[in-house]
Amino acid sequence: MISKFVRLSIFIALLVMALMPLQAQDAVEIVIWHMEQPPQRVERVQGLIDEFNAANPGIVVSQDVQSWGDIYTKAPASVVAGNAPDILFAIPDFTPIIRELGAVQVVDDFVAEIDETHGYFDVGIEPYTSDGHVWAIPLWNMAHAVWYNIDDFAEAGIEEPATWDEWASAAEALTGDGRYGIGVPANRNLYTDQVVYNFMINAGASDIYNDDGSLRFNNEHTVRALDFYGMLSQFSPPDSPSWAWGEAEVCLGSGTCAMVNQFAFLRSYEANGGDPANLGVMAMPVDAGVEDPGTISYVNAAMILTDDAAKQEAAYEFLRFIFQPDNYGLFLNMEPGLFLPITESGFESETYWSDPLVVKYRDQLETVLDYSRSGRLFGFTGGQTFPSIARISAQNLLSQVGQLVVVDGMGAADAVAEGEYLMMEAIE
Amino acid sequence: MSDSKRNLAIRYCLVFVLMFVIIAPFYWIYSSSLKESSAIVAQAPSLVPQSITLDHYANLLSSSDYPIYLTNSVVVSVATMAITVVLSTSAAYGLYRLPFPGRKTLYRLILLAYIFPGSLLLIPLYVMLSNFKLLDSQVALIVVNVTFAAPFSVWLLKAFFASIPFELEEASALDGANWLQTLLLIVVPLASPGVASVAIFAFITSWTEYMFASVLIVSDANRTLPVGLAGIIGQYVIDWGLLLAGAGATTLPIILLFVLIGRFFVRGLLEGGVKA
Amino acid sequence: MLRMVKRKRDKRHRRRALLGVALVAPLVIWLLLTIAYPIFSLIRLSFLDVGIIGTGGDFVGLANYQKVLSSRTFGPSMGRSLVWVLGNGVLQTLLAFVAALVLNLPFRGRALARTWVILPWIVPTVVAVIVWRWMLGTSGGIVNTVMLRLGIVQEQIGFFSTGASAMSSLVVMNSWRFFPLLTIIILAGMQGIAQDLYAAAAVDGASAWQRFLNITLPGLKPVLFVMGLVGTLWSVNIFDVIYLVTGGGPSRATMTMPVLIYDMAFLQYRLGRAAAAAVLMALVVTLFTIVFIYFLAPRGDDQDEAWR
Repeated sequence: MISKFVRLSIFIALLVMALMPLQAQDAVEIVIWHMEQPPQRVERVQGLIDEFNAANPGIVVSQDVQSWGDIYTKAPASVVAGNAPDILFAIPDFTPIIRELGAVQVVDDFVAEIDETHGYFDVGIEPYTSDGHVWAIPLWNMAHAVWYNIDDFAEAGIEEPATWDEWASAAEALTGDGRYGIGVPANRNLYTDQVVYNFMINAGASDIYNDDGSLRFNNEHTVRALDFYGMLSQFSPPDSPSWAWGEAEVCLGSGTCAMVNQFAFLRSYEANGGDPANLGVMAMPVDAGVEDPGTISYVNAAMILTDDAAKQEAAYEFLRFIFQPDNYGLFLNMEPGLFLPITESGFESETYWSDPLVVKYRDQLETVLDYSRSGRLFGFTGGQTFPSIARISAQNLLSQVGQLVVVDGMGAADAVAEGEYLMMEAIE
Repeated sequence: MSDSKRNLAIRYCLVFVLMFVIIAPFYWIYSSSLKESSAIVAQAPSLVPQSITLDHYANLLSSSDYPIYLTNSVVVSVATMAITVVLSTSAAYGLYRLPFPGRKTLYRLILLAYIFPGSLLLIPLYVMLSNFKLLDSQVALIVVNVTFAAPFSVWLLKAFFASIPFELEEASALDGANWLQTLLLIVVPLASPGVASVAIFAFITSWTEYMFASVLIVSDANRTLPVGLAGIIGQYVIDWGLLLAGAGATTLPIILLFVLIGRFFVRGLLEGGVKA
Repeated sequence: MLRMVKRKRDKRHRRRALLGVALVAPLVIWLLLTIAYPIFSLIRLSFLDVGIIGTGGDFVGLANYQKVLSSRTFGPSMGRSLVWVLGNGVLQTLLAFVAALVLNLPFRGRALARTWVILPWIVPTVVAVIVWRWMLGTSGGIVNTVMLRLGIVQEQIGFFSTGASAMSSLVVMNSWRFFPLLTIIILAGMQGIAQDLYAAAAVDGASAWQRFLNITLPGLKPVLFVMGLVGTLWSVNIFDVIYLVTGGGPSRATMTMPVLIYDMAFLQYRLGRAAAAAVLMALVVTLFTIVFIYFLAPRGDDQDEAWR
């Protein structure tokens, strides 16, 4: 009898859950998944959604916030289970994975339309172009720079270093008395991938692939980059093997680190007790003889997953709304400084430049914007895109190579050779 | 100092060290969550907040759906608790009081449910639950949590069920009570400390579960507290003030609950004198 | 007449047996649906060449098993899982025994202490992760600050920076969370030991250590056996704490089997291979369980106590 009761109650529970989603639906519903979790970003996006929904009675947009930590599990699973979102935010190496499931829609025409009305910057579309089509709509750019405490530099009598030799001696001079010269992450995560790649770019090892798609990771420039990265790590706090972006922020803001390699986190710099007059930013120093210096940059984008024409049109309508310069400025400033405009009209947007933090840190931000034009991303250089980069970056193989040097104390040449082996294994 | 006095001193020292290990991290969460952001990450943190601010809690309440997460956690945990209690009490009664062939093998096998790691069951369960259209629902979490809470619960109940004299049941049967009446009116009340412990065990198991909740739940409206809290960790920025307020606020309800019923959990287990 | 009584008793016996089956059935069905079925589909998956979850795959026989066994990562991860289980087992048992013995002594406030010793166990994993990461960090981390002030270390320590220290820190974190439950269970087991045994031993002049060795420990054997078994199964399968704190790093030093399986399935996109690794791990754990039960199960006159 008890078992009957149990079965009955489970049945009722199932019934209730099954009936819940059955609400009257007149309007086209669009579900967005993005991974911008911090509360104020969610709030800003919600504000824009509310405004859009009010102005478009036929469309109801809603957001579900996911995390980068589990989206690589959750998104493919949701595609399989048939409950994927209509719009899914992406970074370049995430797109090929969802594409493999056949769920990503081609957006050539819409991207051309936005390019025409708002003018995409050059760095925007390329990372999402593959097999002759564009697979996602670029939304914003992000770029690293070297951030430092001006006071620390002044005290030690140091100028902004331009070469690696100057940089190394600056880091050494700034280390001591509980302060570390530079915070260099050595975790296995995206942040470390980014920093390691920064070293690679400025050692002349931007390209991971040859033109034919074979690997060219194992070369003298990469070895030089890893060697120098390992050398600088000795001036980094002892817990840097467990760092993500946040720890670097705290380290700089609290004065524990004199320099970090980082995106432009104006809000958290402010919250960690930083002083705008004391925040310096510069291009990453370059190894001798490298002609094409630069920085890592990430173009974030939106993939359209729905195959329903009405929903696609509604999704486009929402994105058109977002790209309106006034809205776009507000959209980017969900995290002031971090998200850089990817369109000409956005760059001119009044709401972008009028955010209080942007006003306060305008000088620093202009340096970053300028620097971001030299931005590039591993696996997406040389004018070609090889989808297998998704496997290399999902496993964070660049940071694994970095860890071999910093944590395991392996020589740079051996670590890079091991790295190429791991990459080949990953993409076989 | 006499021997007994020294023993007493050592005894209280040990108690102090034990309770320090247990409680110090909690003190540190709550006291720091009241500090200014810059004081939280200062190189020389102060043991007592120099100035008290409730900003982080205000920020938490205004910027996350804490009340929704709390409600979801309570719903999932209470349902898990109820189902686990019914399933495990009924199974324990069957296993320990009623002679059927293979029962001894069975009650050993039930504990072996823990051989298979949750991380390994994640994928097939995901697909299965999605076939039943149960993804992104609290039912999915309840189903999973009961699975992980019930086997150990059955074992916990053993001592309580085994120690009840059969004469009581027989007397009840002679009085004309059917098996359900005997179970509910005689056996369960006698085993009530054990049942209470099982209820709390199931509740806690569900309350602390993270992995399944993070993958099986998609929309914000269905998230439980641990997943909601993980949501504000973020990767790009660490706002320790907000995080500590979140950690504190996530822990507070369960501490309050334990103020009310915690003694039943421990006392229940202690009274039963657990046997294997 | 006698036969009628006997038949009646038989019938009653059979009805009670049937009732027993009926009462156990819901739980068994529940577990079969949520464990046995997923295990079955996992085994199936381990023979298929599936990459990303949701894509199809061809039957490849034992190829996945071959790849896993010949990979450089499988053996070391098995070893790390062993270290993890042993580390947790030893530390938790030690802590729990000390705590249970302390809480078994008479002192003022004992009831309160017995209730609140459980506190770490009722805290969600995520909270424990946040708190410990913060306390062990270098920007305002209290542990480093205190150690610096006391002069125990000259420079801040990166608790998750080297393989050995990351593993040890994780074991400590995890043990801190789980030893309270074990403490209470052991304490409960101690309550189940007849007090007159101690009284008799005291009369015989046995020392505290002898009493512990000759009365407490044997009396706890059934409890320790089950907790040893279940505790090992629980801890070998722990994924969330490790993944949330180190993600298996640094340099794979904390990549135990569950983390490796997750890594294969969701970061390397080799679901079939991950399933094969999972099946292999389950086989090893099952083997352990059999050996554990065979050698350590309490043997007693009481049929119910005997596991074999």
